[in-house]
Amino acid sequence: MAEVAATVAKKQGDFNLRTIVLPIIAIVVLVAYFSYVNPLFFSASNALNIGRQSSVLLMVALAGTVVILIGSIDLSVGALVTLTGILAALTVDQFGLAGATLVGIGVGALVGLVNGSLVTMLKVPSFLVTLGMLSILSGVANQISQGQSILFADSLLPDLVNGSFVLGVPNVIWFALIATAVLTVVAFRTKLGRYLYALGGGEIVASHAGVPVTFYKILAFVLAGGICGLAGVMLTGQVGAGTPTAGSSLLLNSIAAVVMGGTALSGGIGGPHRTFLGVLVIAILTNGMDVTEVNSFTQDIVKGFVIILAVSLTIDRSKYLFIK
Amino acid sequence: MTSLTVVGRPDLPGGRPAAAPALELRDISKTYPGTNALTGVSFVLRRHQMLGLVGENGAGKSTLLSIINGTVRPDTGTIAINGDPVRFGHPTEAARHGVATVFQEQGLIPTIPVFENIFLGRETKFTVAGGLRRKAMIAEARAVLEELEVDVSPTALTGALSFGQRQLVEIAKAFALSRVYPVEPIILLDEPTSALSDHETAKLFDGINRWRSRASFVLVSHRLSDVFAICDEVVALKDGHVVDQRPIKSIDEVALHELIVGRQRNAEYYREAVQREPSATVALRATGISKPGHLRGVSLDLREGEILGIAGVLGSGKSTLARIIAGAEAQGEGDVVVEGATLRRGSRRDAIRHGIGFVPAERSVAGIIGTDTVDWNLTLPNLKQIALGFLGLISPRRSRALTVEWMQRLKVRAPGPAAACRTLSGGNQQKIVFAKWLARGVRILVLDDPGRGLDVGAKEDIYSLMREIADKGAAVLLVSDNLPELIGLSNRIMVLRDGVVSAIVETPKDAKPREVDVVSAML
Repeated sequence: MAEVAATVAKKQGDFNLRTIVLPIIAIVVLVAYFSYVNPLFFSASNALNIGRQSSVLLMVALAGTVVILIGSIDLSVGALVTLTGILAALTVDQFGLAGATLVGIGVGALVGLVNGSLVTMLKVPSFLVTLGMLSILSGVANQISQGQSILFADSLLPDLVNGSFVLGVPNVIWFALIATAVLTVVAFRTKLGRYLYALGGGEIVASHAGVPVTFYKILAFVLAGGICGLAGVMLTGQVGAGTPTAGSSLLLNSIAAVVMGGTALSGGIGGPHRTFLGVLVIAILTNGMDVTEVNSFTQDIVKGFVIILAVSLTIDRSKYLFIK
Repeated sequence: MTSLTVVGRPDLPGGRPAAAPALELRDISKTYPGTNALTGVSFVLRRHQMLGLVGENGAGKSTLLSIINGTVRPDTGTIAINGDPVRFGHPTEAARHGVATVFQEQGLIPTIPVFENIFLGRETKFTVAGGLRRKAMIAEARAVLEELEVDVSPTALTGALSFGQRQLVEIAKAFALSRVYPVEPIILLDEPTSALSDHETAKLFDGINRWRSRASFVLVSHRLSDVFAICDEVVALKDGHVVDQRPIKSIDEVALHELIVGRQRNAEYYREAVQREPSATVALRATGISKPGHLRGVSLDLREGEILGIAGVLGSGKSTLARIIAGAEAQGEGDVVVEGATLRRGSRRDAIRHGIGFVPAERSVAGIIGTDTVDWNLTLPNLKQIALGFLGLISPRRSRALTVEWMQRLKVRAPGPAAACRTLSGGNQQKIVFAKWLARGVRILVLDDPGRGLDVGAKEDIYSLMREIADKGAAVLLVSDNLPELIGLSNRIMVLRDGVVSAIVETPKDAKPREVDVVSAML
């Protein structure tokens, strides 16, 4: 892990430094401010709260990161979490925990496969493919659930997600942290990871170097779908039911977190470790405003400003010819 | 001014002597980090003349055009238009003095009608209370087009026009400008014929001949035949210097070509003394290489230890040949055989498996990932070498070690293996592209204009590297625009003309041919 950290720190030089320092500064400033307004904010129990509230968001943002790294985008992540969450709730009593998890991951990966295939084979921009998929998945989720929450009897899933087996930290946080660690290792120390960066940084260069471009692009979408599927199962465990509105806020928050962390929408720059920081900023901001009793409408306004400000500071403009 | 006035203004305001040249450049210099783009460039464009600007890739033609049209500011030197010194901070200021550029990659917006393009950015003339007088614009545009005898409707959608028609619209736009500002147009044509058929070219030249009494022109072209067909004078650029300005009548095509490329070929520069005889073993055999409209039935044998040069003018198909052989061209036809195996067409992967490295011409798009580090670039096709352990995880230490090793061997100047590639100079980037393949131990290297855009020192490094590679028995296919480079480095030169082989010139180290011998087969 030390070596990964060294590579992480050394990659991409000056730009990296700025984008990695800024989210950290943001975190420090936010923590200081909210602790000052409400001392209860700065406590171990609230820290765990923040973790619980943002674990699923972190998973979804990681999925988004994989696709954004290759220079594409996946807008169907939130809807996919909703759908797989509902499917998990429907299947967990019959197939058990393992079965429901497999259904979630499997359906997620399948949706990713469709997304990736449409993008690469039909050459439809990922923005449009996944926008359509978002609508399809939301519709299917609502059809299946008839707009109602799906309850289940199984107690293993909620216990596993909400329990605290190690160091008193809820398992859901551990899952998200492990996912971050695994994906960071994948990003920096596997062929897959390096190919993802190469595709985002220079697709022609990658193809000249013998990278099977189509295969790895599809794989990125499949991987993202699978992670979303897992996130859906986790979310259902956390809530104790499959809900048709669960994933609606995840899409925008996850993209904001990815970009705030310093992963460029143009691809090739950033990574899962960055997204972790971005999610932390969003999570602290949201929780802090809750704790300091800012009303939810004002919260949206503030969050919007923070996103624009953060992105304007961290985005790498060198790859854009025009800003559109 | 009514819509019936003559386009352009023969009567110059201010009573300046008519003898003042339309455009005069004096001592223009421009340096970019690592390159001297232009050094002390001076030339004169007389009124109503067509001046040809010729030179190799990287000679400084584009930079010069950008300086004239206000996109780039020169470091030193002065520009005068009609005898008045000018200093442009922005292209619109140049436009106000009548300078208009017709770009190779076209500067029109395809999604709006022709008349809107013609007056784009200059609509104020047609504005009434914030609204546009559309009819007046159309009428004015029609008048301009009719006067120039350009058969295009002002209301046609620009994107629906042919390439040639769009070019005429761009020229019309330049003339329309002269109605807005009372100046005579100076029209810069950047490779105007490169995408035109012979018929369209003839039509364009017809038009220009009719319009030249109302404008002055600068023509940048790779096609010397264009220059001879239409120019009054020619300026030859080489390595950022003006070699000569002279009337076109005083020079012929071969002599002009020699002016363009004519640096003294320096045997030392190209390491000719160490040129080896290729072995008899064929490393790669290509037969019937074709691509409709680009290349017809080219066959070649590339032997171990050989540098085989491919010469030809722009559009001769030489780059296409390189890409097909390297497996980087999807529409290529014909067979490439390495060690008895026929390669899968259009598959870089298969070509790499059979040991073919490829250095493409567009380094920044196809050779280097600027956002990635040196070691990520270098190891991209070499990940197997740096993977470790049972999970096959990449070892960052090995990745860096391999990179440092090759950086030292090729004398790459960079802060370290973790430096972002886009911060490196062109020469160092090119060395990394070479190192990618050398680290893989390839036996065949396909190089598409490897010296493009590099300064003299970087070129020298690349040349001696190529010698070393060939000396170790690898086979090198060298496509280049640079004749002295081809003659100096190659064992043989295959000359392409219009997609077919027009000559094979032997270039043994003690009996190098003259450039003229190769040029005559190219033109």
